[in-house]
Amino acid sequence: MNFAKPALLALGLAATIAAPAAAQWVPEKPIRIIVGFAPGGGTDQTARLIASAAQEQFPVPLVVENRPGASGTLAAEMVAAAEPDGYTLLVAGGSESTSVPNHMETQYSLDDFRGVVRVNREHMVMVTKKGSGLDSVDAVVEAAKEKPGELAYGSSGPAGILHSAFIVFTQEAGIDMTHVPYQGGSPALAALLGGHIDMTIVTPAQAKAQMEAGTINAVATTSDRSEEIPDVPSLTDLGYDVNLENMKGLVAPADTPDEVVKYLQDKFAQAMESEAFTTVADRSNIAPGYLSGADFEDAMRSMSDSVANALENGGGDDSAEAAQ
Amino acid sequence: MDPMLLALTGLTEPLTLLTLLLSVTIGLIIGAIPGLSVNIAVALAVPLTIFMPTNQAMVMLIGLYGSGIFGGSVSAILLNAPGTPASAATIFDGYPMAQRGLATKALRLSLVASLFGSVFSIALLILLAPQLADFALGFGPVEIASLLFFTFLVIGILSGTSLVKGLFSASIGMVLATVGSDPMLGTPRFTFGSTSLMDGLTYVPLLVGLFAVAEIIEEAARKFSQQTRKFDLSSEDATANRLSLGEIGRCVMPMTRASAIGSCIGILPGIGATIASFLAYADAKRAAGKSGTFGKGDPRGVAVSESANNAVVGATFIPTLALGIPGDAVTAILLGALVLQGVTPGPLIFINSPDVVYTIYFALLASTLLMGLIGYPAVRVLAQTLRIPKIYLMPCVAVICVAGSYVARNNILDVFVMLGAGVLGFVFNRTGVPVAPLLIAFIITPPFEEAVRQALTRSRGSFEPFLTNPVTLSLAAVVVGVVALSMFRRREARTAQ
Repeated sequence: MNFAKPALLALGLAATIAAPAAAQWVPEKPIRIIVGFAPGGGTDQTARLIASAAQEQFPVPLVVENRPGASGTLAAEMVAAAEPDGYTLLVAGGSESTSVPNHMETQYSLDDFRGVVRVNREHMVMVTKKGSGLDSVDAVVEAAKEKPGELAYGSSGPAGILHSAFIVFTQEAGIDMTHVPYQGGSPALAALLGGHIDMTIVTPAQAKAQMEAGTINAVATTSDRSEEIPDVPSLTDLGYDVNLENMKGLVAPADTPDEVVKYLQDKFAQAMESEAFTTVADRSNIAPGYLSGADFEDAMRSMSDSVANALENGGGDDSAEAAQ
Repeated sequence: MDPMLLALTGLTEPLTLLTLLLSVTIGLIIGAIPGLSVNIAVALAVPLTIFMPTNQAMVMLIGLYGSGIFGGSVSAILLNAPGTPASAATIFDGYPMAQRGLATKALRLSLVASLFGSVFSIALLILLAPQLADFALGFGPVEIASLLFFTFLVIGILSGTSLVKGLFSASIGMVLATVGSDPMLGTPRFTFGSTSLMDGLTYVPLLVGLFAVAEIIEEAARKFSQQTRKFDLSSEDATANRLSLGEIGRCVMPMTRASAIGSCIGILPGIGATIASFLAYADAKRAAGKSGTFGKGDPRGVAVSESANNAVVGATFIPTLALGIPGDAVTAILLGALVLQGVTPGPLIFINSPDVVYTIYFALLASTLLMGLIGYPAVRVLAQTLRIPKIYLMPCVAVICVAGSYVARNNILDVFVMLGAGVLGFVFNRTGVPVAPLLIAFIITPPFEEAVRQALTRSRGSFEPFLTNPVTLSLAAVVVGVVALSMFRRREARTAQ
């Protein structure tokens, strides 16, 4: 143990050097950005885009790391328990933040994180098959009231944000529809086109492409109107109190110091204004939606609360009960 | 300019060609490493493509995808460790061939079969994409469930000689497949409170364990005595390893059937190349009847497995391009990359961005061709691996297996699964229990359960759709026909005695 002394000394030295620097925190080692989904997916793309655009602003490497599993909860759990030093961030704002913890027990909650920045917002578009007669929300509600439980909606998986959006909507509209989960949004869209389900949720880009081909009706977005498909009404327009979106942003463990969060927020905000970010975001339908860390937190909390309310009031009965 | 010409000129740019060459080579290598699958390679390449021109980006990703599947057969044949899950069925005859000193031949045949399957499905893609995609949409939960049940019965042939042992193995596979979240409700099953188990056990570590690790333990138990048996290439019988046109000719029919099976499976959602190659293998084994030496090094076994899994590659592009809905995990990543390029995938891609469609066609064809050009001379070099004494080779394989299993999900649990599967595989081998039924049951159970329960949710618990569905009924008729035929044959054989 003869190396203990110099090590201690070094530690003390480091502490004295670090102390005055704390006023203006500057990262000294690589920052890990944890993605709870497999490489190549939407969340991963956003993470890699913001990381590559922000790299110029940072003196240390930004490393994107995939920890896929359990609808992103595996990664969320990991970051919630990580050292709150600003060196471990999570891409959050979607299913793992606003949806899953309301459906089942998780090892974390929104309280375990603090927002750093919201990067983008993705509208969710409710669609039906062309020629099904369900060409508007009114038509869907009417059909569902006529034959409760007969209409089926497809989701990207149980407890995911698509599932939650339908639970909130059916609860608001006072209707009963059957939930058929798929392994992701794409198989659900395929099932809709094949006529195996009556309704599902897609991204604005998907909705636009399929609408142009005349295969689907986009009946409503689940928040406000989307710029990409301005003719599609929002559920709020139609008088339903539904405001859910698939957001993507960065969060840090809850106890991360203010100056660290401020530093990160400023740098990422600058990155979002860079040309590299805007060009790619623009051409690839990533709708930038900058929000400060605190506002991002509020947005997540309000969405999460609306899901929790709907579930408490008996929304999505069948699945909610069985999941307990 | 004509979009086809535009795509062609874009593709012949030196930088694009160089990208293609590199990505095909890297794909082959990554494919050959057990545990590292093409999915990871393609996904990791996406961020590199963000700032590339579209044709270069597509060429890079497609090059990795196509050649990776062939690469998987290399380690399957040489090391008994499939490089990609899709090459699992290649082991059955590829490894015995290599053990008999026919490694080069098996690899050459695998290459020819891969080319055959790729070209077959690319031709279907170019000629019939919209029609086939519409056909595939008609396959709902009821049809998929029936098809998977049928597949399971057909593959049952692989269970080997003892039905009891086969069923035992399959039931273990089925139980292992139930670990994780319930597909309909999300309720955790057998996870013991661990979030790491919520997605269940994954296929790659299980596969690597059952084959590669089991083989390593087996060799260790034999004290690596195989080093006395020399796989010297100079002593490898060059004439026996030559692949004659006649031999390829004998494989053409089985390969065509296998490619057709692979293409059909490829256009359907959620089934995948692994099941396709098992199904094609079982089909060829059944068709060969007594004339085959399947499982003991029949060249046709390698040919059908590899043509089927490569046929899936082209076929997955059919729904991807015609509907804008990815056919599998890799095409999903590709679509994502296209979106980053500013191309919106959807049914109108043929009208809105025909040059992109042609670029994809040409990239698929060119990467297939290049795979042949690079692969053929590489085969002899690769076969040299077998000259390494097992006492040195096996520890290296073990390290690669551990790394490969971990890297897929960055999850240490997968490494333990791999080790456990290795011990299980070793015990199975020693007690004569076949490993294949376990694997097949493990892959088929989750999509089967999902489809059955989706169908039952939709019908509110009624089995009626299964009894009235034309697909279900015709598949049932085929099963009855096959069973009747085999009973008839058996009786004939008995009377002949």
